[in-house]
Amino acid sequence: MRDLVKMVVVLLVICTISGVALAYVHHITEEPRQYSYVKFVQEPSMKALLKGHENDPIKDRIQLALGEDERGKPINKIVLPAKKDGKIFELAYGASAMGYIDVIEVMVGFKPDGEVIGISIMRNIETPGLGSRISEPEFTEQFTGIDLETNQLSAEGGKIDAISGATNSSIGVIKAVAVALEQFPQIQKEVFKP
Amino acid sequence: MRLIKEFTKGFWQELPPFRLVLGLCPTLAVTTAAKNGLAMGLATTFVLVFSNLVVSALRQVIPSKVRIASYIVIIASFVVMAELFMQAYFYPFYEILGIFVPLIVVNCIILGRAEAFASKNPIIYSLADGLGIGLGFTISLIVLGGIREILGNGTFFDASIMWSTFEPFRFMVKAPGAFVALGFLLGFINLISRKRPAH
Repeated sequence: MRDLVKMVVVLLVICTISGVALAYVHHITEEPRQYSYVKFVQEPSMKALLKGHENDPIKDRIQLALGEDERGKPINKIVLPAKKDGKIFELAYGASAMGYIDVIEVMVGFKPDGEVIGISIMRNIETPGLGSRISEPEFTEQFTGIDLETNQLSAEGGKIDAISGATNSSIGVIKAVAVALEQFPQIQKEVFKP
Repeated sequence: MRLIKEFTKGFWQELPPFRLVLGLCPTLAVTTAAKNGLAMGLATTFVLVFSNLVVSALRQVIPSKVRIASYIVIIASFVVMAELFMQAYFYPFYEILGIFVPLIVVNCIILGRAEAFASKNPIIYSLADGLGIGLGFTISLIVLGGIREILGNGTFFDASIMWSTFEPFRFMVKAPGAFVALGFLLGFINLISRKRPAH
């Protein structure tokens, strides 16, 4: 009996201490981890979208909390603003949706009035040669100037021609862009609030 | 004197992947380049040193019936810390090593040292043991990664070192190259160790 109690207590204490230690390390690395993510995953796409800015959009990144997702976790959005003469003239942020194989992360660039200046694929592991062609300019350029109504496959009355043989990957990009478009009014209100 | 012995045994006598043939999963999988081997080796060394430290410090406290569960909790905690630190400060390596960082938890070198050494020896020797074995593992991964990188890509730590007409054997940086390189290395090391008197 005493053995049993001792086993339970020792394991409990070890687990508790390790839990506290992990929470602490998680907390102190929060900032640098986010910076690394922005630096190594988002920066290449950002450079393709935002041009002619005088600031460092990564240093000036804006963090917003946009409600909660379906699991009740707060959605943290990182918005990268491009500034000229101290005013934001373009901004970009990421959105993601399920593709054919895995989640596709897309960065969408906007003008302050909500016009889409372009999209860039940040991370995808779609089928090489088929789905992976979503990152080619012929496909991504179709999204310039898109809005929620035209952000559909051309077969369904929209403006986007799917990549033949990779319809599900193409739909994944459309869904991710739709997420970004839906979030824009709220982000616009937060970023440009007086 | 014993401290030096415990430290240096990891470099030859108990060299994990080549002499004990332990920890082969990361050894084969991540050694596509010397610097990947270095990163993996250092992450493993970090976990090994700290898990040895804690296991050794708690060796009188942990009841033997729950020792494996306790060791795994301790090891897993340090692995997650290593992963978080890599994500924060060495993001490119975090992307390259990917799933193999969390898999350090089930690396049998670490559980093996906790069970066979740290649970029976004082803290100072356990630290020397962890550091020695970890650095031996790191050097092994650099050697294997270096051989594969030189032959498969013509570079060493990303620096071009082969002559300009050298045509790289691409398959050396692919999965089969790992087995071929490891096989030759093991054969070579067995050849040397046979000539030495057995301890």
